[in-house]
Amino acid sequence: MRSSKIFSVWHGLPLFILLFFLSPILIILSSVFADFSENWSHIYEYVLADYILNSLILVSGVSILVMTIGSLTAWLVTNYQFFGKRFFEWGLILPLAIPPYILAYTFTGLFDSYGTMNEIARSVFNLKQNEMLFPNIRNIYGAIIVFSFTLYPYVYLICRTAFLNQSRSMFEVGRTLGLSQASIFLKLALPLVRPALIAGTMIVAMETLSDFGAVDHFAISTFTTGIFRTWYGMYDLTTAMQLASMLLIFITFCLIIERISRKNASYSTIGSNFKPTPVKRLSSLRSSACFFICFVPIFIGFILPVLEILNWSLRFNTRFFNEQFFSISLNTVLLSILSAILCTFIAMIINFSIRYTNSPVIKSINPFLNIGYAVPGLILAVGIVQLFVFLDTNILNSFEEYFLTGSLFGLIFAYIIKSYALANSTYEAGYQKISQTIDDSARILKSTGLNLLLRVHFPILKTSFFTSILLVTSEVVKELPATLILRPFNFETLAVSTYIYASEERMVEAAAPATAIILIGLIPIFFISQMIRASRLEKS
Amino acid sequence: MKNILEIKNLYHAYDQNTLTIKDFSFSLKKGEIVSILGPSGIGKTTLLRIVAGLEHVMDGEVTISDKVVSKKNFLLPPEKRNLGLVVEDRALFPHLNIEKNVMFGINHIHERESLAQEYLGLFKVAELSKKYPHEISAGQQQRVAFARAIITNPDILLLDEPFGALDKNLKDELHDEAKKIFKDKDLSVLLVTHDEEEAEYFSDRIIEFQEDKIIIR
Repeated sequence: MRSSKIFSVWHGLPLFILLFFLSPILIILSSVFADFSENWSHIYEYVLADYILNSLILVSGVSILVMTIGSLTAWLVTNYQFFGKRFFEWGLILPLAIPPYILAYTFTGLFDSYGTMNEIARSVFNLKQNEMLFPNIRNIYGAIIVFSFTLYPYVYLICRTAFLNQSRSMFEVGRTLGLSQASIFLKLALPLVRPALIAGTMIVAMETLSDFGAVDHFAISTFTTGIFRTWYGMYDLTTAMQLASMLLIFITFCLIIERISRKNASYSTIGSNFKPTPVKRLSSLRSSACFFICFVPIFIGFILPVLEILNWSLRFNTRFFNEQFFSISLNTVLLSILSAILCTFIAMIINFSIRYTNSPVIKSINPFLNIGYAVPGLILAVGIVQLFVFLDTNILNSFEEYFLTGSLFGLIFAYIIKSYALANSTYEAGYQKISQTIDDSARILKSTGLNLLLRVHFPILKTSFFTSILLVTSEVVKELPATLILRPFNFETLAVSTYIYASEERMVEAAAPATAIILIGLIPIFFISQMIRASRLEKS
Repeated sequence: MKNILEIKNLYHAYDQNTLTIKDFSFSLKKGEIVSILGPSGIGKTTLLRIVAGLEHVMDGEVTISDKVVSKKNFLLPPEKRNLGLVVEDRALFPHLNIEKNVMFGINHIHERESLAQEYLGLFKVAELSKKYPHEISAGQQQRVAFARAIITNPDILLLDEPFGALDKNLKDELHDEAKKIFKDKDLSVLLVTHDEEEAEYFSDRIIEFQEDKIIIR
C-alpha cells in the first residue's frame, strides 16, 4: 500500500518537523561565520587547550574502561554458566538508571575526606582525622570512573547481542587450531565484534562529551562547562555558540563512526547453518571469579550510590516527602509525560509517513531527526534560545513580552529533539511487525491516510505507543543541562533540584530527588531486561 | 457478457533491465472466475497488484467498469477502484474482533451489524463474530477474510493464493463453498495460484505465466 499522490500532508508534515528539529542545530553551526569576539581570543589563548585536552583524556579513559568492562562481562554472561548468571544478564544494565551526575554526587559523599567510606575506614583502621584511605575523587580520574561505571551498559548490551550471534563452529575451528579459551576471546570473539564494540563506545563517548552535571561537580574544564561559563559568566552567547560548534563537529565525527560501525553490526555469522555457542559450566573457583568480575561494575555503578543515598535519607533523617518535593516531582512528571506524548506522536507520524508514502525523500529524513540524541542538551538549549528569540522578535512580535523565550515550550522542544531517537526506535520495531498486506487490505477497504493511521495502525501499535511514552518519560526526567538553561524562572524539576542541592554541597537534601530519578530510571531497565529474557529464550 | 476488467498492452518492470510483464492484454467478464497460474516469482502477484492499484504500470492501460484506472504516469488509488482483496496470510486486523473486521469497509452503512452477520453466516462463521483473529483457526480466518472482501460488493474480487496456507481437506471444502458463493453473487474473480489442480477446478479460464510468454486458455 502506497500513497499515490506525489505530494500529500504525509510528505509535508515530516519535512516541517525536520525543519524544526534542525533549526537549533543549524543556528549553532551558523555562529562560526560570525565575528570572533575578545572573549574568544581569551578562551583561545588561556582555556581552549584545557577544554580539548581534558575532553580527550576523559573520552579516552572512559572508552578504554567501558570497552573492557562491557565486552568482558558480555562475554562471560553469554558463554559461561556461573553463580548469578541469570541475574547478571539484566543486572549489568542497572547502572543505566543512574545518571552520571548522580553517581558523581554520591561518590563525593562516599569518598571525600569526610565522606562515608573514609569515616568507616578511620573507625575500622583507627586512623587519624587527617588520614584518608580513599583518595580524592574530585578530579578527571574520578570523572573517568564515574562515566565508565554508569555508561558501560551501552557497550555491554551491544556486545552481548553480537556475542549471541557468533556461531559455535567458528570457535570449534579455533580450538582445533590450538587456541585456548582465553585466546578464543581475545583473538577470535573480540575482533569479530569490533564494529559493535566501536559503536557502543562511540555512544559512550558522545554521552561523556555531552555531560554537564558530573564534570561541573568535579570542577573539570571541558567544552560543556566552558560553554556554560562563557554564556552565564561572560554573558557572551555568540562565543558560547562558537564553542558549541566545535563540540558539535567532534560529536558528529563520533556519530559517523558509530553509524558506520553499527552497519557492520558484528560481521554476523547468523545464517542457515548458524549454531549457537554452547554455554560452558565452570569450576567453583572460576565461577567465583566470573561472579566477582560481573558484580564489581554493578556494585560501583548501582549498589554503592543507592546505598549512599539511602544512608543520606536514613542517617540524617531527611524529611523525604515534604511539600516542595511533591511539587517538584509533579512538575517533572507532568512535563516529562507531556513531552513524551508529543515526542511519541511525532515518531508515529514520521514512521507512518515513511510507510504510507514509501518516498525515498521521507525515508531519508529519519536519520536526521534521530541525531538529536547525540547533541548535548546544553548545545540544544543554546540553539533553542536563539531560535525562540528570533521567532519572538520577528514573527510573534505582536505579543508585548517574549512569548516563547523563557517559556516551557523551549524545554519541551529540547526534550522532544533529545528523545526522538528513543520513540522512533520503539515505533520502527512495532511497524516491522505489521505485514504490508494489512495496509493493502485496509486500503482496498477504502481506509487511507489519517483513517488508516487511526483505525488500523494506532490500535495495532498501542503497545509501542505506551512503551515509547514510558521510555521517553524516564529519559526526560534525567535530563539536566537543557533543563537548567531553558526552565522558566523559579521552575524546578527533580534533576535541577538535585543539581542545586549538590552544587550547594547540601548532599543530604539531594537524596529525595535523586531517589525519585533513579526509581523512574528503572523503567527502561525493566523493558530491556524483558528483551534480554526473550533473547535468552531464542538462544536456548 | 460485459467486460468488467480490460487490460491492454500492459508493460511492467521493477527496474529498467527486467520486464516483469510484457505486452499483456486480457479481459475479465462480469461473473467470471479467472485464475492466474504459474511458478513463484514469475509476476502473477504483480499482475494482481497492478489491477488493485498497488503497483504502477510502465505502459499500457487497465480499465475497470469502463473507467481507466491505470496507465503510464496515472494511477487511480486502490480505495477508489471498488475491489475486494484476500491474501494468503489473511491480513485480518488483529485489534478488531471478527464482526468489526467484516464491518471495516462498510462503516457508513446503517445496518452494518446485520449485514456482517449475514456474510459471516454465508461462510459459516457467524458464531465467531465476537472472537479475535488469533482465537480462531487458519481456515476460519480465511472464511472471515472472504466475508470481509465481498461484503462491500466489489466489482472485482482479487485472491492472492488464498488457499495456500490450508491443508488439503480444508482447501477442498472451502473451494466448493467459496466458488458457489462467488457464482451466486455473480462476482468477477481473479485468483492467483501456483496449484494447477486448483486453477482447473476453481476457474472458468486460466492465464498461465510461463518463462517467456503468457498463455490464456
